[in-house]
Amino acid sequence: MTGVGLETRSRFAAILLSIVVAVVLGGLVVLSTGANPISVYQEIVRGALLGRGLDETLSRSVPLIGMGLAAAIAFRAGLINLGGDGQMLVGGLAAALVALYVPAPGAVRAVLALMAAICAGGLYAWIAAVLQLGLAIPFLITSLLLSYIARGVTSYLVRYPLRDPSTGMPETYRVASAARLPNSIFDLPISVGMLIMAAVAVAVIVNDKHGVNGFEWRMTGLNPRFAGYSGTNLQRQTQRVAFLSGALAGLVGALLILGQQYRFTDGALLAPGYTWSGLMAAVLAMASPIATVVTAAFFAALQVGGFSMERALGLPAVLTWVLQALIILCLAARPVFFKRR
Amino acid sequence: MTLLQMKGISKRFGSLVANDGIDLSVNSGEIHALMGENGAGKSTLMNILYGLLKPDAGEIRIDGKAMDFASPLGAIAAGVGMVHQTFRQFPDLTVWENLVFQNEPGQGPFVSAAAARDVVRQLGEKHGLEIDPDSRVRDLAVGIRQRLEILKALSRQAKVLILDEPTAVLTPQERDSLFTAMRHLASKGMALILVTHKIPEVIAVTDEITVMRDGRVSGTLTTRETSEAEIIRAMVGRNVPPTVATKVTSTAQPMLSVRNLSVRRGGVAVVDDVSFDVRPGEIVGIAGVSGNGQPQLISAVAGLEASTGEVVIAGRNVSGLSIADRRAVGISYVPEDRHLTGTAPAASIAENIAFGTHRTAAVARYGFLRKQAIRTQAHKLIEQFKVKAASEQVPIGSLSGGNMQKVVIAREIEHGSPLIVIEEPTRGVDVGAIEFIHKTLIAERDKGRAILVVSSDLTELLALSDRILVMFEGRIDASLSGKDMNEATIGRWMMGGAAGA
Ligand SMILES: Nc1ncnc2c1ncn2[C@@H]1O[C@H](COP(=O)(O)OP(=O)(O)OP(=O)(O)O)[C@@H](O)[C@H]1O
Ligand SMILES: [Mg+2]
Repeated sequence: MTGVGLETRSRFAAILLSIVVAVVLGGLVVLSTGANPISVYQEIVRGALLGRGLDETLSRSVPLIGMGLAAAIAFRAGLINLGGDGQMLVGGLAAALVALYVPAPGAVRAVLALMAAICAGGLYAWIAAVLQLGLAIPFLITSLLLSYIARGVTSYLVRYPLRDPSTGMPETYRVASAARLPNSIFDLPISVGMLIMAAVAVAVIVNDKHGVNGFEWRMTGLNPRFAGYSGTNLQRQTQRVAFLSGALAGLVGALLILGQQYRFTDGALLAPGYTWSGLMAAVLAMASPIATVVTAAFFAALQVGGFSMERALGLPAVLTWVLQALIILCLAARPVFFKRR
Repeated sequence: MTLLQMKGISKRFGSLVANDGIDLSVNSGEIHALMGENGAGKSTLMNILYGLLKPDAGEIRIDGKAMDFASPLGAIAAGVGMVHQTFRQFPDLTVWENLVFQNEPGQGPFVSAAAARDVVRQLGEKHGLEIDPDSRVRDLAVGIRQRLEILKALSRQAKVLILDEPTAVLTPQERDSLFTAMRHLASKGMALILVTHKIPEVIAVTDEITVMRDGRVSGTLTTRETSEAEIIRAMVGRNVPPTVATKVTSTAQPMLSVRNLSVRRGGVAVVDDVSFDVRPGEIVGIAGVSGNGQPQLISAVAGLEASTGEVVIAGRNVSGLSIADRRAVGISYVPEDRHLTGTAPAASIAENIAFGTHRTAAVARYGFLRKQAIRTQAHKLIEQFKVKAASEQVPIGSLSGGNMQKVVIAREIEHGSPLIVIEEPTRGVDVGAIEFIHKTLIAERDKGRAILVVSSDLTELLALSDRILVMFEGRIDASLSGKDMNEATIGRWMMGGAAGA
C-alpha cells in the first residue's frame, strides 16, 4: 500500500517540476524577445482567472473538456479518434438545422437540436468504426478522413442551399432566441452548456471508475485479447465506444452553435482547434477522464490568459502558443524524465 | 576460473525487497542452477545481470572486471546473453531479421540479408541449433523460438548465458536437445545460468545450485553431492511429496462433448475430425508433442477459434455461440499464454480477477462495480493460493511469473463453472505451488467438476489424469486409461501410433 502512495506522490512532484521547468524555459523565451517574463506571466494569470477572464476560461473549458473527454473515452478503450472535427461539424450542423427549421416550441426545439447533434456525431463516428470492422481500415484513418468529407459537405451546404443571403458570410440563418441555450441561469455566470458538460463529465468519470461498462472498456484498451478471451464482444464494443465518442463531439458542436455562435458559419467551429487541444489533453492525461478534465481546463485558462496577455502587452500572438507548447512538452516529457529502472 | 561474480546485490520495489544482498559466482564451463519459490527474486537478479534493472547496491564482475550496466546493450557488450521467461521477439519478422536486430551485418544503413542468413546457418550448425532463417517467427513452435533466442545471444559472443525457465515451454524432446546444446556451450567455456523449478532437470544438467528464498540465498549446493529432497528443503523449508490422484472412472452424462471438430488453417486441418467426452468428476488429460494441434483444439472448444463440428457443453450445443455465451453456459478456461491472453498486465490483481465475471451479481450491481466485494474476493484468493503480492491493488504484471499464473488459475476455478479447461496448469510454478494446484484440481474433480487438462509435462498428466487422450497431427487416436496409461504407451502414440509397438 505504501508503494502506491509513494508512486502517486512522486508523480505529483514530477508534474509540479515539469511545470516549473516549462515556466523557466518560457521565461527565457520571453526574455529573448526583450519583454519582461514576470509581467507576461502575471498578465496570463490575471487574464485567465480574474473578473471577466474567469467567465471566458469557464466557457472555453466547455468545448475543450468535451473534446478532451471524447478523445479520452475512445482512447481508454483502445481507439484513437482523430475525427473529432468531423463529428463536431455534423453535430453542429444537425443542431443548427433542427433549431432553425423544426416547428416546435423554443425549449423543445433546443432539446431536439441537442439530441439530433448527439445522434449525428455518434453515427458519423460509428461509420468509421464500421469501416474498421468491415474493411479493416484503421479507425484512426477513417475517422480522420471522414472529417475532411464533413468539412467539404458542411461548407457546401452553408455556402449554397442553407445560406443566409443577408450577411456576406457563408453561414446559416440565426437561431431564434427561444431555441438558444441561456448563457446564465439565475443570474449566475453559469451557462446551460456548462451544466450539461459538467453532467457529462461526471457521468464519464463515474462510468470509468465504477461502471461495469467503463471497466470493460478500460480492460479492452489494456489488452484486447484478454478482453475477448474474457467474453467481451469486441466488435459491438468498438461500435458503441465510437458512437459515444462521436456523440460527445457532436454535442460540443451543438453547445457551441446553440450557446455561443447561434448560427453555423463555415470554419467557425474548427477555428479554435478544440479537437486537437482536447486530444492533447487526453494524451497527457493518459486517457484518465478526471485528469483529462483538469488538463483541458488548464489549457482553456492558458489560452484565455494568453489572448489577454497579447492584448495587454502587445506581444506577438505566437509567443502565447510557444509558451503553451513548452508547457505541454514538459508535461509530456514527465514520464520519461522519471522513468526508474 | 570464476567468470561471473555478483556480490551483495540488492533491489527493492517500493517497500518490497526482491533481492537482499545476493552473492552468486559462476565458473567458466559451468552450468549453474538458480532455484527458489515463486517470487523469491530469481528473475529480478537475472534482469539486473542483464542490465534491465538497476541494482540498489552490489557489484557485478565479469572476468574480474567490475561492470555497471546502463542497459541491456551494455550487458550484451560485456558478454551477457539472456533467454527470457517471456520471449522478446518480433513475431511478424523472419528468423534472420530477429537475429540481427540491433546487430546488423552489412554496410552503413543496409542490412546484408545473405550475411545474416549465413550467420543463422553457421551458428546453428556449430551448436546443433538449426533453424530455417527465412521462416516467420510467428509460425514457429516455442522450442524453435527459444533456439532463436539462444542463437541471438551466441551471435553476440555471449560468455554468460542466462536461461530463465527455458524448459517450461518445451516438449521432452525439445528439452533434451536444449540440454545437449547447453552442455556443448559449457564445454566451449561459457558460463550458463539455468533458472528453473524442475528438480530432475537440475540434477540432470547442472553442476552447482544456488537456492533463493525471500530475496536471499538460502543454500548453495553441488549437484553431484545433493539430492532432490535436500534441494526441496532448501527451497521451501519442508518436504513435498509428489501428488498422485487416485484414479476414478466417471459414468455420468458428459459435461463436454466434442464431435467431429476440425480447425483449418490455410487448407491444412490442424485439428482433424476430433471427438471426445469429458464427464463430471473426471480429469481428462491431452498429451502430445507440441505443434500437433492442442492449442487450436482448446481454442475451438473455448470459442476463440472458428471450427467445424460440434461442441456440446452441459447438454447444450454451443458451436455457434460467442465466448461470452459459452462462459455463461459453463466453461472456465486457463489459457497457455498468461501474458498475452490471460491477463491485462497493467491492471491490478483485483481487476484481473473480477474481469470475466464483471456482469454477475457477485461483482456488480445496477451496472456499478462492487469495489469492496471485488477487493475482498481478490484478497481471499491471494491468501488461499499463497500468491506473493504486496496487495490486491498492485498491477498483476509486477508479479513474478509463477505468481501471475496462480492468480489466473485461482480466478478460473473461482468462477465455479462445471467445466474447467486448463492449459499447462503448473508451467513456471514452484514445487509447493504445484502441489497446491494439483490438490485443488483433484478436489474440484471430486466435487463433480469436469476438467480437461493440456500439458506438455507427461509426469504431470500421469499424476492428474483419469484418462489421457493423445494428439498427433491434429487427430486423437488414443484414449488411454488404467494400465495403458504409462509413459511408454503414451510416448508411442505421441510419435504417431501403435505402429512402433
Ligand atoms: N517491476 C516490479 N515492480 C514491483 N514488484 C516487482 C517487480 N518485479 C518483480 N517484483 C516483485 O519482486 C519479487 C520477486 O520477483 P521475481 O520475478 O524476481 O521472482 P522469481 O523468483 O523470478 O519468481 P518466479 O519463479 O515466479 O518467476 C516478487 O514479489 C515480485 O512481485
Ligand atoms: Mg521469474
